[in-house]
Formats: sequence, C-alpha cells, structure tokens
Amino acid sequence: MKRQMKLTPQEQSQQHTAAEQEQTVREFASADEMLRDDAAHTVVPPAVAERLRESAAGIPAPGRSWWKRLFKTD
Amino acid sequence: MLAGLPTEFGELYTEHSRAIFYLALRLLGDPEKAQDATHDVFLKAFRKMDTFRGEASWRTWLYRIAINHCRNLQQSWNERHLFSNADEAVWENAPAATDSPLRVLETKELGERIQKALDGLPPEYRLLLLLIADEQMSYEEVADLTEQSADAVRGKLHRARKAFAAIFKQSA
Repeated sequence: MKRQMKLTPQEQSQQHTAAEQEQTVREFASADEMLRDDAAHTVVPPAVAERLRESAAGIPAPGRSWWKRLFKTD
Repeated sequence: MLAGLPTEFGELYTEHSRAIFYLALRLLGDPEKAQDATHDVFLKAFRKMDTFRGEASWRTWLYRIAINHCRNLQQSWNERHLFSNADEAVWENAPAATDSPLRVLETKELGERIQKALDGLPPEYRLLLLLIADEQMSYEEVADLTEQSADAVRGKLHRARKAFAAIFKQSA
C-alpha cells in the first residue's frame, strides 16, 4: 500500500511557487522568435476594420475585372 | 468584416492587417497610433490599388506603404526619443548575448519589455528586426524594402539581434 507523504506548509508553499514559475517562465532562443511570438499574440482591434469600411465606402471601388486580374481568381 | 467593399480587399485585410498593425505598433510604440496608422495604410492601399504591378508580394507592397507612413508620422511628431551614442555603448560593450536564451516571466510583461528593447535600438535595426521576424519575408525582400543588399541586411541583423538581446536582458 502506498503511503501518502504529508507536506509541511512550507514545503507546500515551495512546491506551489515552483509550479507557478514553471507555468510562467517563457524562453526564446532568439530575438526573431520572441518578436514572432509577440506578433502572433497581437490582435488588431475590430474598430480598425469598422473605420476602414466607413472611410473606403465613399471611394469608388476598382472594377471587378481589375480585381480578378490582380488576384488571378476565376 | 469589410462589408460593402470588394471581397478581395477584405481578404487582403484579413491576411495582412495583423502584420501591418504589429509593425506600426512596434515602430510607433503606441496602440492608438498603430490603429490609426493601420487604417491609413489600408485606405491608401485601397486608393492606390491600380499602382500595384505584382512585381512584389502584397505583403511587401503593404509594408512599403506602412514604413513610409510611420516614418512620416515620426518625423512630423518628433516625439520619439532619439538614438544616441550613450545608448550604443550599452550594447556595444555587452557580452555576446545572442548565445543565451531570452527569458521572460509573464506574457503580459513581454510586450512592454520588447517595446523598451526596440526603442533602445537605432531605427534601422528596429525595422530590420521587425521585418525579418515575419516568416513571410525573405532577406531579399527585406533588402529591397530597406534599399540595401541582402548581405548588408544580414550583417546589420547580426548586430541588431545582439543589441536587442543585451537591452532586453538589462530590462529584467
């Protein structure tokens, strides 16, 4: 039968702190990797798209055929 | 997302807006200004679509607009701190920091420390680091955008990475 080891409050605290650090310490091999991660977690606020939609609404859109040529769509 | 505008423009925004916003955020160091800049860059792109010849990628084309836009803003505001020789001494004399990993305790402090480290770099180094961190960008494309050779970009990036790591570690 397995015996459960009882930890003292101090040991419990140390274990808890170690676990927290394990969760929060992040390590990056290079500046590139860090910036890539930072960029990946950056969210463009939805307000930008809304403002853009309002601003561009008054500007004549390019013709459909012109868009198709640029994007090479069918 | 961009209802009422051509679908293709909406797709362009969806695919590239994060990269443009991130570049503006880290170049300008202010989320609100980055929002304004992202709006202005895509509006300019919408207006100038007929000048796109397909010689570069959409991403490169948008980056070019964004870089020029941010440079103009920085020149007119004249409010960002200027790079000085004193700053240079901080990382020029630092040990080769690129060999050891960069550690950060919490995600929330990461952005702040990255901004501080970038702000401590010469503008050219800052821009090169941000562009090359984008996996869609090659050394040749970054060289084209910054009007220099790919070899020059490689050399400067080596120094930029070292400088960034040194300043970042000092900010802990």
